Amino acid sequence: MTARDAEDRVTREVVRIPQHFPARRAWWACFAVALLLLGLFFVSVAVLFGYGPGIWGNNIPVGWGFPIANYVWWVGIGHAGTLISAMLLLMGQQWRNSLNRFAEAMTLFAVICAGLYPILHLGRPWRFYWMAPYFNTMNVWPQFRSPLTWDFFAVLTYLIVSALFWFIGIMPDLASARDRAEKRRWRIFFGLGAMGWRGSAKHWHRWQQSYRLTAAIAVPLVVSVHSEIALLFAAGPIPGWASTVFPPYFVIGAAFSGFAMVSMLAVWLRAMLGLKDLVTPKHLDMLGRLMLAAGLMTLYGYLADAFTAAYEGKRELETLMDRLSGPYAWSYWSAVLLNFVPLQLMWWRGMRQHPLVLFLVGLSVAIGMWLERYMLLVTGLYRDWLESSVGYFHPTFWDWSLFAGTLGVFFTAFLLFIRFLPVISAFEIKEELEKGHNG
Amino acid sequence: MSDGEQPGDRAPPATGRQFWRSLDELIDEPAFQARLARRFPAIARHAGDWRRRDILKCLGGAVALAGLDGCERAPDEEALPFVEAPEGHVPGIARSYATAFEYEGIAQPLIGKTREGRPIKLEGNPQHPASRGATDAITQAALLGLYDPDRSAAPRRLGAPADWALFDTELAALRERLDSTQGSGFRLLTGSTRSPTLLRQIGALLERWPRARWHAWSPVADGAGSGLPARQTRRLHLGEAHATVAFDADPLGPGPLQTWHATGWGQRRRAYQAGDGAAQLLVAEPTPTLTGIIAGERLIARADRMEPLLRALARALGVSGGGSAPRLSPAEQAFVAQAAKALDEQRGHGLVLVAEHHAPELQALARQIDAALGNLGRTSELAAQRGGPTAASLAELARDMAARQVETLFVLEANPLYAAPPALQFNRLFARVKQRIHAGLHVDETGAASHWHLPLAHALESWSDGEAADGSILLAQPLVRPWMNVRSRHELLSGLLGDPTPDRALVRATWALDGPQWAAALVQGWVDAPPPAQSAASASPEERPVLRTSSASATGLSLLVRPDPSIWDGSFASNPWLQETPKPLTKITWGNAVHISPALAEERGLANGDLVRLEAGGHSVTGPVWIVPGQERDTVLVHLGHGRSAGSRVAEGVGFSATPLLGLSPDADVRLTRMEGRDEVVTTQAHFRMEPDEFVRFVETAADPLPPEEPRPSFYPPQESKPAWGMAIDLDLCIGCNACVVACVAENNVPMVGKKQVAKGREMHWLRVDRYHSGSPDDPEHAFQPVPCMHCENAPCEMGCPVNAAVHSPDGLNLQVYNRCIGTRTCSAYCPYKVRRFNWFDYTGGDPPELKAQRNPDVTVRQRGVMEKCTYCIQRISDARIAAKKEDRPIADGEVVTACQAACPTQAIVFGDVSEADTQVSRKKATGRDYDLLAEANTRPRTTYQARIRKGERPA
Repeated sequence: MTARDAEDRVTREVVRIPQHFPARRAWWACFAVALLLLGLFFVSVAVLFGYGPGIWGNNIPVGWGFPIANYVWWVGIGHAGTLISAMLLLMGQQWRNSLNRFAEAMTLFAVICAGLYPILHLGRPWRFYWMAPYFNTMNVWPQFRSPLTWDFFAVLTYLIVSALFWFIGIMPDLASARDRAEKRRWRIFFGLGAMGWRGSAKHWHRWQQSYRLTAAIAVPLVVSVHSEIALLFAAGPIPGWASTVFPPYFVIGAAFSGFAMVSMLAVWLRAMLGLKDLVTPKHLDMLGRLMLAAGLMTLYGYLADAFTAAYEGKRELETLMDRLSGPYAWSYWSAVLLNFVPLQLMWWRGMRQHPLVLFLVGLSVAIGMWLERYMLLVTGLYRDWLESSVGYFHPTFWDWSLFAGTLGVFFTAFLLFIRFLPVISAFEIKEELEKGHNG
Repeated sequence: MSDGEQPGDRAPPATGRQFWRSLDELIDEPAFQARLARRFPAIARHAGDWRRRDILKCLGGAVALAGLDGCERAPDEEALPFVEAPEGHVPGIARSYATAFEYEGIAQPLIGKTREGRPIKLEGNPQHPASRGATDAITQAALLGLYDPDRSAAPRRLGAPADWALFDTELAALRERLDSTQGSGFRLLTGSTRSPTLLRQIGALLERWPRARWHAWSPVADGAGSGLPARQTRRLHLGEAHATVAFDADPLGPGPLQTWHATGWGQRRRAYQAGDGAAQLLVAEPTPTLTGIIAGERLIARADRMEPLLRALARALGVSGGGSAPRLSPAEQAFVAQAAKALDEQRGHGLVLVAEHHAPELQALARQIDAALGNLGRTSELAAQRGGPTAASLAELARDMAARQVETLFVLEANPLYAAPPALQFNRLFARVKQRIHAGLHVDETGAASHWHLPLAHALESWSDGEAADGSILLAQPLVRPWMNVRSRHELLSGLLGDPTPDRALVRATWALDGPQWAAALVQGWVDAPPPAQSAASASPEERPVLRTSSASATGLSLLVRPDPSIWDGSFASNPWLQETPKPLTKITWGNAVHISPALAEERGLANGDLVRLEAGGHSVTGPVWIVPGQERDTVLVHLGHGRSAGSRVAEGVGFSATPLLGLSPDADVRLTRMEGRDEVVTTQAHFRMEPDEFVRFVETAADPLPPEEPRPSFYPPQESKPAWGMAIDLDLCIGCNACVVACVAENNVPMVGKKQVAKGREMHWLRVDRYHSGSPDDPEHAFQPVPCMHCENAPCEMGCPVNAAVHSPDGLNLQVYNRCIGTRTCSAYCPYKVRRFNWFDYTGGDPPELKAQRNPDVTVRQRGVMEKCTYCIQRISDARIAAKKEDRPIADGEVVTACQAACPTQAIVFGDVSEADTQVSRKKATGRDYDLLAEANTRPRTTYQARIRKGERPA
């Protein structure tokens, strides 16, 4: 088989997916579930706006509850996409090419879900734009010492850069999809997205510049955005929160949960769309390794956090002991169990390359990391300084329904993406094939 | 249309079908004419003579006259404002009137603040010795009772709305009957009121109808219904008592005398702090009370141990009557020795108290000790009663009802169907009475079972008078004209006597005062009437046990039945401010529980909330248990007032009724059986244990300072402002009575959220009173700590808010700008004191208009989704600032008084400018007992605390 044949095959395999979708039945089944969850999202939001945040389990002292925990979780998931595509792009790790497109899409949708939460979380969500610095007749600016103000900037920047990066990356493939489209409506659809891409050397040159530049912006953003989110906790004088370890601890944890999500999506897409030639065991192997590395660093974060608490003593130590043995110890130990125990399977190549094992480990980590966020938030607030202020948090139906609803938002968007857009970066794989044959 | 309408009225057609061609033809029919004449005789004259214009004229006239119905029902009456000149009402300027609020027979001297004609706040009358500006929680909440949307608005006959005219007609018939029979079969049942005007009216009633009888009863003062005890046989002057020994007595506890006693105690304790004499308090009691918690020495002893303890004390002091030496445990011996030493050292300034529910012999012995030590007449006096008719008891009423001697029963401000002791079988007997009339604020259990229910005017909208705790006579002016079709109790009685007189005239007629005297009395709020002649110190007034203690039972359990600290005997059960006020000891809201000791709970395997059945003397109640550290091992306590089945939406279905346990014989067996299931008991505080922290700090004596603290470094520049508002809370003076909490609610439009929301941890109180205990759960050290916003100089909330809604004011206040708040709740997450409250729902928008009328117009009503917290009563600061600016002077010390500070009977809360060294608050903060709560958080709070002093002995 010549290189040209292989390239054609890649393009065909990727680009024909939207127009000749291989797994319509499975897609529709997934899409129906996603739509159902999306419906739940709208119902939950309507109820929330109708009655107020009192429908949740939040109280005083646990004024933050699911919305903030879920927000951190969703942003964390998003980071893996950026890391895989931008950082590995800059580092010249070409194996990323099979994964980066859908990982970027995952980032984009996860950040959208994350971005919804801080707004829905507000007591008066219709005033959310007061967090933005804009000229106004009230002559009031945001309060720049607040981590929330910077959170707002961080998430907004991250959303814009992720969207740009994903769009720049997909543009050449939209052009080839346009060229191969059999029906006029598909041509118009892809043509609009391709923005007049003709594949000239000049186009490629400029594309290379902008793509790498955006990647170079995106990578530090991963660190800054999640550090900023960590400050949401670390800046408060709350035992169990006020720790300088938090920013790196959160960033690594975010990457960890993100890699877990990418692994799950890779296994799922590979099976559903029959992309076994493109997402090879080698890719699964690399994902497993990434997950293991990030996981071990997260474990180090746990230890460092515990060490700091023990070193500080007093209330910090009390909070640590409360996490280990208090009424919310279940969340701590489940997080440890789910995050780090199945992860140890990733030491073996055979396990890493086994799609089902990888998927299950990814699922365990995604749940484990969610529990970690829940644990950090609730154990910090429910018992902070005064013994008289102890108050327990119990999530309600609407807490869960909104979370399930954002899963609906995510999967609806993601399913539409795999249905209508090229899920794998065809031209980059071709470029790689070309290099392999020539070199 | 039923009366007079007979089937035959519709004249059947003679034969076949007849049609009428015009209305005139129909009108001419004799059958119709006859029917019309019967029903509308006035119209019948004109029948057939109608012109269109006449009809329209009549119609117009009827509509115009219908409007007159909305006019005033009575001509204007004069009420005099307290300070301000009566002329020239300025909108936006509050007017204050001296008034009074009576409960349990004691009137509380008050100043009612009104805005645009609406009463918005009650304050204690600062010039009256029984208040000095302070109030208790129940009196604070009386304001909401006025606006209660469930208050009865119209008379009801057999449960259906009726009107006063109909009642007056029925009353006329009754009066005729009573006149002819000299009142035979007529009974009047009242609560424990001591209003001179009411007593005068009752006297007149009994004089006119000598065979009628008056019965007085209150479930708290007369649980068994055997007759109200002579009120206030012994008036305490705690301000003079350098050493007080209390046996099961709770003078500082909730009730109508709390303000009077706590004011005196605070006065004595502050003098002691300043180095003047001692303020020792030694308490022996079976269950922790407010008095016991603040006491320097607290002995846990069963109620039946009070007798040997008191006898031992008498022996130790060489007072005869101690009898043979009782057997005491070492702890009891130590207590008696200490008490004897304290009393001996403070001869002439000592006080021995025995709770009213103990045997008269014990009361007499206590008085004997006081007499022997020369305390009598100084720390307490025997107060004679004012004259008046003598009331019979509830038991006598029940007996007469059983003998069918009661034809008409008029129940005025009492609810025997809910609260009468079961032994009297009042419910069954009540149904036998031919004519049952009930007058009250609500259609309660008794109202629902009566033929007539009459809506009573609230105390704050009617004229009355009453006896204050110090024996003086208070005048109660209405703060507002009644907006519902109600009558005051005086009007009802005068109506009964066939001489309907406005209540103002009735009150005025009681007091022979000329115009200027009357005006002066109204302005100051009391009548300078000579006190009744004091009985001789040796005379033993009649005393009898009230709420009985069942102690000598075979099962070894001792049962106490006490009024609820918030809703009292249930008369305030419809008041959400009181229902949501956490009970001082347990912090339980919206309900009651069976209080048991930790040891008993362990023995029976009971946990908080487990359902138990409490049986005594053949009666039983079922309720959840609550473990109270510091309660005597075998003592079980229940609170009255809950478990209402009628009255108002707020009162019904909250808690369980302890009424079945009232009026038991002291030797009744008490059994506690575990039941299946649990009941939710809702508290505002989940954890009470203080160790290893020191949130409430202690020093041994007034002379001991706290160890000095190193100043902590901060990156923030120091806050310098002028004035710099700050608060000092003296934990040595705080008795945990909750007056501040309810005053804050009233002043700041704090919404009530209900049981479910409190269970979720969403109560909205801006000021809470934390309670801690440390040490062994069987005999812990208890402490109270009021926690408002600390107004930190380095406030974490201000750092956290993204939109500048939490900001610092130039005068050092930590502000919350409601209309800027978007509800991120970061401020609350970052607050180490967790004093911020969030509007999780729209708690205020759906309130009925009555409740909206109650709100303080100077304080924003917060909308859904915004954070709120204590503002140091910024509206009062603004008022003072404006007043000072107008006069071009600085704000004087003591000019700004926060709502909590004003209500506090012991003056534990002091507020003012901390940037000046000679203000009251600065002097308070300069004592060695001053400390920051959570100093390690380095928030530099403007609210600081003064450590509690363990002992109250005179410094050596």
